[in-house]
Amino acid sequence: MRTSVIGIGLVALTVGAAAQAAGQGLTFDARRIGMGGLTLGRSASLVRYNPAYRAVADQADRRGRPRVTIPIPLGIIQFLHDHPHLSTDPAFHPDSARFNPIVAVNTLLNLPIYLEVKKAPTPTNDVVVDIGQNALRANLGLSAELVPGDELGLGGSSRPLDPGIGIKGVRVSMMGWLHDEVGLQLGDKLLGFLRDSQPATSTTAYTVNGDGILEGGVAPSIAYAGRIAGDATTGFYVGGAVHYYLGVAYARTSATGGFVTGNPIFGGPVKPSLAAVTDYSKAGNSVGHGIGGDVGVAWVSGPIELGVGVNDIGATLTWSDTRQDTLRYDTTSNTIRTTPGPNHFTTKTKLPVSYIANVAYVIGLTTLGADVLNNGRGTTIHVGGEQRLGLFALRGGVARDQRKRIEFGWGGGVRLGPLGLDVGFWTHTNSLSNERGVTMATSFSIY
Amino acid sequence: MRLKWLWAIWLASAVTGCGQGHLVFNVDVLSFLSGAGTMPYDLPGGVGPVDSTVSRFFPLPGGFGKSTVDNVSITGAATLFNVTGGGNVLFDVFFAKTQGALFTGTPYITASSGPVSGVDTVPLLSPTTVSPGDTVFNADSLWVGVRARITTDPPVLPHMTGQLRLTELNVRIVLNDKIF
Repeated sequence: MRTSVIGIGLVALTVGAAAQAAGQGLTFDARRIGMGGLTLGRSASLVRYNPAYRAVADQADRRGRPRVTIPIPLGIIQFLHDHPHLSTDPAFHPDSARFNPIVAVNTLLNLPIYLEVKKAPTPTNDVVVDIGQNALRANLGLSAELVPGDELGLGGSSRPLDPGIGIKGVRVSMMGWLHDEVGLQLGDKLLGFLRDSQPATSTTAYTVNGDGILEGGVAPSIAYAGRIAGDATTGFYVGGAVHYYLGVAYARTSATGGFVTGNPIFGGPVKPSLAAVTDYSKAGNSVGHGIGGDVGVAWVSGPIELGVGVNDIGATLTWSDTRQDTLRYDTTSNTIRTTPGPNHFTTKTKLPVSYIANVAYVIGLTTLGADVLNNGRGTTIHVGGEQRLGLFALRGGVARDQRKRIEFGWGGGVRLGPLGLDVGFWTHTNSLSNERGVTMATSFSIY
Repeated sequence: MRLKWLWAIWLASAVTGCGQGHLVFNVDVLSFLSGAGTMPYDLPGGVGPVDSTVSRFFPLPGGFGKSTVDNVSITGAATLFNVTGGGNVLFDVFFAKTQGALFTGTPYITASSGPVSGVDTVPLLSPTTVSPGDTVFNADSLWVGVRARITTDPPVLPHMTGQLRLTELNVRIVLNDKIF
């Protein structure tokens, strides 16, 4: 049991990390935290999403990007102090009377990297459940507001590896790519039961709808990035890349799962309900094929810098050896039955188009910037700035995360020669709460 | 399966119920008794007390076994429909973790009809009882027992006949186990 819990925990940690990363951008840089997630230097995002930035010289970056940023994980220290025996901690052990699902979920949604200086308050109302032989009604009170009415999703596309060689702006590479998306949405009946306190009815399905896709592969690529006008201080840069996507494997599923109430509700057996259709092409089958491209431009002119990049344009893959299976819970045998469907047929998948737009402006000791990033699963917006005052720096920023919630960042730092110490505060709404929490990040920087 | 059902409710409530709030279950126990809430009697006069009992197994949400019960309040009511003869009827409700332990201690709720004779209808309304931290409900299941303790008036004839009909039996269980 413990093994399974730890296993589930690890998976959930991964999902939680992905969710957090997708939601607000997982970063270890307190400077960035202090500017609401904005990056003023050459972030990985800029180069990843705007191919023109490969040609923008580092010296054009005058915003004091550190060479190395070392996070000070005060949150982990705090967490380990609070939970010294994690594997046996009853708060995370479902078999324990002291198992706390709220703490567990909030820990996953807010990985304890940063110090949580203000925990998001959670509703404190009573939860009342009325039970009769043919009656069931739950009144969650204010907690009902936390029941998600919209789809919960995470994912996007990524490029974990891109080794290659470049000559005079032309680069040939073998890019690894990955596309993953998961979406979950409560069915109307379950949503009404949990959120609207509607009474349950007999012989009724209460379900969660889910869909997901996972695909990955490599893409031989040829790219160009270069300055087509101006010089190092004032220049116009363009970039582009063409990828020939080779898909190694993919799986796409659409499922509805839950249970069907008995008749009467507590008189008859509750029957699990599961129906899923899965298309997949295993590794070893014929690879998927597709062509797509990236384009980007960047303009650097004295104190101003602008850039726009778009990725995976037209990236549709064709999988010629797809199989489809149908899963259904058999209420007679109480087993999940898989029914093989069509085989060796052709399907198509499409990588999400992602884009970034950024602007930065430097005036004296003040730097302002903004960026808009969509990695295929919602748009994040960051606006922020930094004011240097001798050895010190003050920072602030505002962000809109993928769930369209506004978050705020502020902080400061001190730089002594090649060393800097920064602290940043950032609001978040990742917890099971409708109110914001505040985290504090700290990091050392080496310039 | 029913147990899993109830456990799922408890878990869903636990996950969605946040903060320092309590998890409160209002259980209509009478609805689960499925006909056992009516207890007919036919006894000669001058006997008693004679006990007539019914009992039912009742599953609770699985988490109860690991939870701390803050308090339990029980509300019950019955109606005595006497047809012939006379005597008095004591109406008791018991809860226990095992069937064998039913009817052995003090009833959770009790009400007396007082003297009845001939055709008579008597409401038996017992006051609601509250049991702070009752460990009987700190389990995944329990037994519910209803007892009619009948004492008839002489002579032997006519028999005391009629029925005791349970009209309400509600249990409110408040958990306070720091799960939130």
